[in-house]
Formats: sequence, C-alpha cells, structure tokens
Amino acid sequence: MELSNIEKLLEKYFEGETTISEEKELKVYFTRETVPSHLERYRDLFQYFSEESTITATRDLKLKTRNRPKFAWVGMAASIALITGLFLTRTNPPPEKVDTFEDPEIALQETKKILSMVSQYMNEGKQGLVYLKEFENTKSKFIK
Amino acid sequence: MKERVFITLTNGFKDKLFRLAKRLLVSNEEAEDATQEVLLKLWKNKKKIEEYKNVEAFAMTMTKNYCYDKLKAKETGNLKIVHSNYKDERPSLQRQVEAKDSLDWVGKIMNDLPEQQRMIIQLRDIEQYDNAEIADMLGLNETAVRVALSRGRKKIREELLKKHNYGVV
Repeated sequence: MELSNIEKLLEKYFEGETTISEEKELKVYFTRETVPSHLERYRDLFQYFSEESTITATRDLKLKTRNRPKFAWVGMAASIALITGLFLTRTNPPPEKVDTFEDPEIALQETKKILSMVSQYMNEGKQGLVYLKEFENTKSKFIK
Repeated sequence: MKERVFITLTNGFKDKLFRLAKRLLVSNEEAEDATQEVLLKLWKNKKKIEEYKNVEAFAMTMTKNYCYDKLKAKETGNLKIVHSNYKDERPSLQRQVEAKDSLDWVGKIMNDLPEQQRMIIQLRDIEQYDNAEIADMLGLNETAVRVALSRGRKKIREELLKKHNYGVV
C-alpha cells in the first residue's frame, strides 16, 4: 500500500475512526519487514497487538462439577423411611381401657381385694429375707 | 446443557476472557483465577445460557465486573504509597531494565492507561470487536467508546514518541 495512504489511515486510527478492516490493513503493513523510519515507532505498537492476541492461559481450566453418586437417593429414601417408620410406630395410641364392672363400688372392692392379695404375698416373701440379717451379724463379729 | 457442549461453547472465547482479565489484573495467576471463576459462574447458570442473546459478550461483561471487584478489593486492602509531590519524568531505572524489549514497553505503556481505555484498546485492537459490541459489553454508548479509544491510542503514541526520542532530544 502507498505510504500516503498508510499515513492517512494512521491519522484516522488515532482519532478512533478506522474500521476493523482498515486496522487489519495497518497491522499487516506494520508487521512487514521494512517500514519507513519515521513510522518505525508504530511498528512496536501493531506488533504488540498481534502478539498479544495469541496469549492463552497456561493452566487448564476445569469445571468442578459435583457429581453425586448415582444411588445416593436410595440411601436418602431409606433413612427417611426409617425415621418416619419409627415415629409412626411410637405414636400409635395405646388400646383404650374398657370398664369391666358396672358398679364402681364393686370395682373398688375388687381392686382392694387384689391389692391386699398382692401385699399378703409380698409379706410372705419378705419373711424369707430375715436370714439376710445373719450376714450383718457375722460381719459385725469380724469387723468391729 | 451437557458439559461437553458448554466447553465447546466457551472454548471459543475463554482465551479472550483470560486476556481481558490479564489486561486488567496484570498478573497471570489472577487472570487465570478470574477466567475460571467466570466460567464456573456461567456453568452454574447454564440453564439460563440459552436466554442470553450473546453469551460471549455476557461473559466479557462478567469478566470485567469480576476484575473491577478484584481491583477494588486490592485498593482497600493495600496501603498505597502516594508520592504526588514529585515525579520523575524519565522512566525509572527499574522500568528501563524491565522494558528492554520494546514490545514489553508497549505493554507497560498500555497498562499505565486508565482501566477503561485499557479495556477498550484490548477489546478493539487486540480482540477486534467492533465499537457496538464493546459498548454493549462495557455498558457504555458507542461515542464514549470511540472517544476513549482515541484518547488511549493517542496517549500510547505520545509515550512511544517520548521513548523514541529519549536520548535524542
């Protein structure tokens, strides 16, 4: 390309009025071997631009995708089932008590009878425990 | 959307995301983190991807926002040493050593530009998006993009000229 044309383009370039394709022409022109000495200083600029457009990241960029194990949901479902199961069985209401006597007076007497029977057996059983005292006696014989 | 589809979709522009992030954050590692983060966010919202009319532009905007957040966090986290009372007009010795390579020098000049100009030059001169796309990505109007582009380019030219004449004039 003619020199005057390049100079005109450069002027436009610094005014920010060149088009992308004109800028490409400039780049091509200035990456050539020989450039007139008064334009020499622009060579670095355009060479820098074309060089900079080739740098890339050295590190490989990875996407960290957190892959859940495929059957994780089975475990989750099982634990939920277990917990709800526990709660459901716990909260089952106890069977309701049914009255067995019509008259509360008789009911009271029957209860008393049963309780006294229980205490009677208790007392009978306790009599066997009297022997335990022997332990205490023999122990106090040795340890004073 | 399957992972493979997503990867082929993002492969088209993930380097562009990286380069934009690198332009803003400068550090390679931070730019990689940013790209990763943006892609992950996209992946998490993969159900919505079909709704976006331009995934690439959307991802670019996400990257820009992410980097801005990072830069802001850095600014508040670090104690800045400001020495505004004097300024060495010549490039510092360290910079001269660092920027021995003249292409590096352009990069240095570019990274000294304000963030917006830096981004616009990155998107326009390096990634070759047109102004309408850039306006869309950055949430600006096209005129603002063109003005910032021109300012940035002129600033680079000025700095290059200084460097070129350094020691001569």
